[in-house]
Amino acid sequence: MLRIDLASRAPVYEQIANGLRAELVSGKFSPGEKLPTVRALAINFGVHHNTVAEAYRQLANEGWLELKRHHGAIVRERDRPAAGPDTMERFTRPLRELIAKALADGLSPSLLAREMTETARRLEGKASP
Amino acid sequence: MIHLPIDTRIIIATTISGVAILYAVLFWFMPCLTRHDLYFAVTVTPGFRDEPKGKSILRQYRLELMVFTALAFIAFAAGVGWFGVGFVSAGLFIELVASFIAFYLARQRVLPYAAQPTMIREAELHGQNRVIPGGWIAASGPFILLATCAGYLWIHGAQSDPGAGGQPNGLAIHGLAVYLLFTTARLAALTLVLYGLSHWVRPVYAGGLERARELKFRRTVSVIVLGMEYYVTLQASWIVLVPRRADLATVGLLPLVFVFVLVAIVVLARLGQGGSRMPVGDDARVASSAVPVGDRTPDRYWKLGIFYFNRDDSAVFVEKRFGLGYSLNFARPTAWITLLLILIAPLIAVLAHLSRFLPKLGV
Repeated sequence: MLRIDLASRAPVYEQIANGLRAELVSGKFSPGEKLPTVRALAINFGVHHNTVAEAYRQLANEGWLELKRHHGAIVRERDRPAAGPDTMERFTRPLRELIAKALADGLSPSLLAREMTETARRLEGKASP
Repeated sequence: MIHLPIDTRIIIATTISGVAILYAVLFWFMPCLTRHDLYFAVTVTPGFRDEPKGKSILRQYRLELMVFTALAFIAFAAGVGWFGVGFVSAGLFIELVASFIAFYLARQRVLPYAAQPTMIREAELHGQNRVIPGGWIAASGPFILLATCAGYLWIHGAQSDPGAGGQPNGLAIHGLAVYLLFTTARLAALTLVLYGLSHWVRPVYAGGLERARELKFRRTVSVIVLGMEYYVTLQASWIVLVPRRADLATVGLLPLVFVFVLVAIVVLARLGQGGSRMPVGDDARVASSAVPVGDRTPDRYWKLGIFYFNRDDSAVFVEKRFGLGYSLNFARPTAWITLLLILIAPLIAVLAHLSRFLPKLGV
């Protein structure tokens, strides 16, 4: 199940793309499988179909999906790209903000570290055959 | 010529009056049939309707409903006395307007207690549960039956009314062709609604028990729409196959309308809007008591509490906020096409009286 928050400051298309990416990384969709149509997903979320189309385009640009006219979005076989020098840089800032929020809310650093490791392992485990 | 044992007009008046009484009863209980966090089409905290203020608003609504309905019935009775039995349909309209005024006043009283609904939206990625009851075979049945009727008339030849000087003028044939066209338009509109209910409705819940209840409610509404299609076909076949006895045919089937409406209302009322009156487990009750979910449509997009207009929502059908069933999202072009198709049938009937150029059956 995918969940978005319309009250969040993050753009809706980004939330949809992030949610779908998590599903794809965890291997819940196999290559060749079809995602729901743009219209169906937009109706379910109660958002404009252009918003969902933008999320699909973003994932297609990242190599996760193949968009075919009248055939919908099909999941592609995707090799893991080699991480560039700026890749870590891109994740450090949001990660830092998220960890700060978690610490501020009372979570311990060790608990956070364990949760992050387990989540990454879970995703990796399902992604690999 | 066969004389009817009871005046046709009396039967029509009695049936419509029965439907009017049903409406009055339905409006009386309607506030209890909606989702728990929607009260007079306003999102409220789930317990609001049980609070003293909520109960007081309900009492006032019911009092006003009684007064307005009584006034409507007086106007209706006076109208029938003045204009004849033909005024009965207008009486039904007056009653609906009166009930709406009572609803609107109650809504205005609830608005100060409106709560911010959740902005969380969920979607199920696997399995969309798009099912038309009985599949396309059941949905195409009425069209096949109607085509069979038309074929039968074509083969056996429809009779023409004798015109001036005893010459056939084709009026009966003309009437039958128009009537079949009119019925086809009604069936097309209902089929579009049926398709829309399976493809264009936005679910409130994406999973769990709430979702199952919602799906059951939606399937029930679809079955009722399908039943309406078969009723329309039955009526049309009956009328065209009993030449020159359309009055008898109409009277014979009218009580069926009353029974159909009664059964539909009772079944939907037992389920509650979106299945909200179906039994739930304790877990679901606890989960739904935190933040009002409502129907996941913001209050500001509901004009007068009954018309939904939201350009950012792709759904064509959304749950009614005060009533049982679904309403259109008037910001979507598909909604207007659906509405146009629904209105085209009566338009054909009007045009048929004005035009002589509509296709003629068997000519």
